[in-house]
Amino acid sequence: MDYSKLKKRPSFPIETIAVAIAFSPRLDGLLSEANRLRNYLGAAMILIHVGEKTAEKEEALEKSINKAGIDQGHCRIIWMDGDPVETILNVCKLNIVDLLVLGAMQKENLFKFYLGSVARSISRKAKTSVFLITEPKIESHKVKKIIVNGVDNPKTIHTINTSLYIAKHLGAKDVTIVTEVHNPALTMTMADSSTAPEASKIKKDITEEQTSRVHPIIEESHKQYPDIKIKEKIVQGRPGYAISSYAKSKNADLLVINSPDIHLNLLDRIFTHDIEYVLQNLPCNVLIVHSRL
Amino acid sequence: MLKFTHTDLVLLLIALGVILILSRFMAELGKKFKMPIVMGEIFVGILLGPSVLGSLWPDMYTAIFPRIGAEKIAFDGIVSLAVIMLLFVAGLEVQLNIVLKQGKAAIYTSVTSMIIPFVIGFTVVWLFPRVLQCEGQDKSIYALFFGTAMAISALPVITRILMDLNMFKTKVGMVIISAAIFDDLTGWLVFSLILSLIGQEGEIHNIWNTIGMVLGFGLFMLLIGKRIIDRTLPWIQTKLSWPGGVLSICLGFCFLGAAFTEKIGLHAILGAFIMGIAFGDSVHLHEKAREIIHQFVTNVFAPLFFVSLGLKVNFIENFDLQLVLIVLVIAVFCKSFGASLGAYLGGLTKRESLAVGFGLNARGAMEIILGTLALNAGLINEKMFVALVVMALVTSMISGPLMKYFVGDQISK
Repeated sequence: MDYSKLKKRPSFPIETIAVAIAFSPRLDGLLSEANRLRNYLGAAMILIHVGEKTAEKEEALEKSINKAGIDQGHCRIIWMDGDPVETILNVCKLNIVDLLVLGAMQKENLFKFYLGSVARSISRKAKTSVFLITEPKIESHKVKKIIVNGVDNPKTIHTINTSLYIAKHLGAKDVTIVTEVHNPALTMTMADSSTAPEASKIKKDITEEQTSRVHPIIEESHKQYPDIKIKEKIVQGRPGYAISSYAKSKNADLLVINSPDIHLNLLDRIFTHDIEYVLQNLPCNVLIVHSRL
Repeated sequence: MLKFTHTDLVLLLIALGVILILSRFMAELGKKFKMPIVMGEIFVGILLGPSVLGSLWPDMYTAIFPRIGAEKIAFDGIVSLAVIMLLFVAGLEVQLNIVLKQGKAAIYTSVTSMIIPFVIGFTVVWLFPRVLQCEGQDKSIYALFFGTAMAISALPVITRILMDLNMFKTKVGMVIISAAIFDDLTGWLVFSLILSLIGQEGEIHNIWNTIGMVLGFGLFMLLIGKRIIDRTLPWIQTKLSWPGGVLSICLGFCFLGAAFTEKIGLHAILGAFIMGIAFGDSVHLHEKAREIIHQFVTNVFAPLFFVSLGLKVNFIENFDLQLVLIVLVIAVFCKSFGASLGAYLGGLTKRESLAVGFGLNARGAMEIILGTLALNAGLINEKMFVALVVMALVTSMISGPLMKYFVGDQISK
């Protein structure tokens, strides 16, 4: 397979959307959500099903496609056999998919968390951006509030730009860039040798350092997207968990985060990696941006 | 039957009061000269102990700090509690996800900064047991201990140095923090294993049983116990008095964990340390609660522990310059070399790698705790203990200037 076209391909504009489908009661909602995304972004659409192709399944899918109002002329259906995770990821690579839409349960139990569900496994491994929808709805609804991770990482600028592109197309007017401040071992160090003013100054300096990093990005984005209200917020806590809790407390419609920097495995679930805190308990719909750096 | 009398109580309270006040003043004075806090506390111990007070006014010394009797037993009990709590707070800061997240440089540095000093330390004892005071000891256990003593790092002192150099959030800083976390974790696991092997009555236990129990307890707590704590903490923090409730529960479980590991033949410190990791890893443990536990332990119990070292050992009599220099040279060489090599293989520049090496070289309080436990267990003699304490203090003091020399302004973010 030739994956060279994928390398350095920007995370937006989104030209091709793929939807991984399973025949569950949530299928109609998922297809409706994906179709709305497709319409807003003006993208082509691929539906992928891993499993045996039968007449019953074809008929059920046809019904769901019609119910979701998908124009079949703009939609391709791919039936494949094999391991669901690997097959879906391969189809995405072959078809230069820019956004993979998946339905995902909001929470996983401990057993599933360690073993991994299909949606979570794809999110960990995907080389394309992934859109996880927790409660797919048939009826149209507005995306108003978007929370974006502003972590200090080379990928972040692409993630912020992608979220603003999505916000513009989805009509969201409120985007908050959230930076998590977490300083391991700082509490222990300050406990024995810092006076109260010293400790406050250290904490203030760390916060200001983060603000000074995010501020220019926001100013630049304001110029590009004058209709969107872009705010910044610093939250204290463990990366991944802090932003997830913040998104939940603010009733966000969409949380946008970077794709993981490393290949995630079971160890990252035992010694929880940042993204695992989000995947463990999805606070709302989640977009994982793969910037293909 | 031994009875804790009114006089014993008065003397114990005087001893505790004097220790806490003097060590605080000495620590603050040392801070002005950029000395580690622990240095001031040990200095107070030397002043109050047999080295100074015991030599000049032996009657006063034995009256306040008797060598036998009920007050001594009570004081030793408090010191044992202190070391258990110190290990608990050390565990609170062990977040292995940070090591994994930092990627190749951190993983390579963590592994080489642990293995190379361990192997060198072990080999030196194996080849020259007499030089390193191994007479009368099981050579393999002594070598295991010395290897661990060379490999351990001290996260608190390292973090302080990084903060002072404004390197805390840099790439070099995060690699050092990650490796220190890893070294602490593996170092304390191996050390608990060594202490368990010696056993309370000095007999050598079956190594496979002990390894199995250490791994079994560690894995159970990190896989299942940690999740149970994580799910219970929100309830504790919202339904019980704040912050008293969470403080009682955390320390309560710390003592239960310590009691459990002590009972099954492992050392109490292992239970406290692993319990600390399990609580510290929970995202639900509020920063404020963490801060209170740290303040309580580091400012009340840590001084008692570090001052007690000077009370029990005559630092002047047991200072062996040759041994101190040998231990210091081995410690500085093996840790700096091991850590620098890992950092370099992990992709850092030569100067950055050397900065990582000297950063991790700081042994601080952790080395001193390790030495004390080994001394109490009868594994090392007082001369080796003093050499380890001096090494811990010297490496902590030279770490900052050496890092500054190697990276200066060229620290890459």
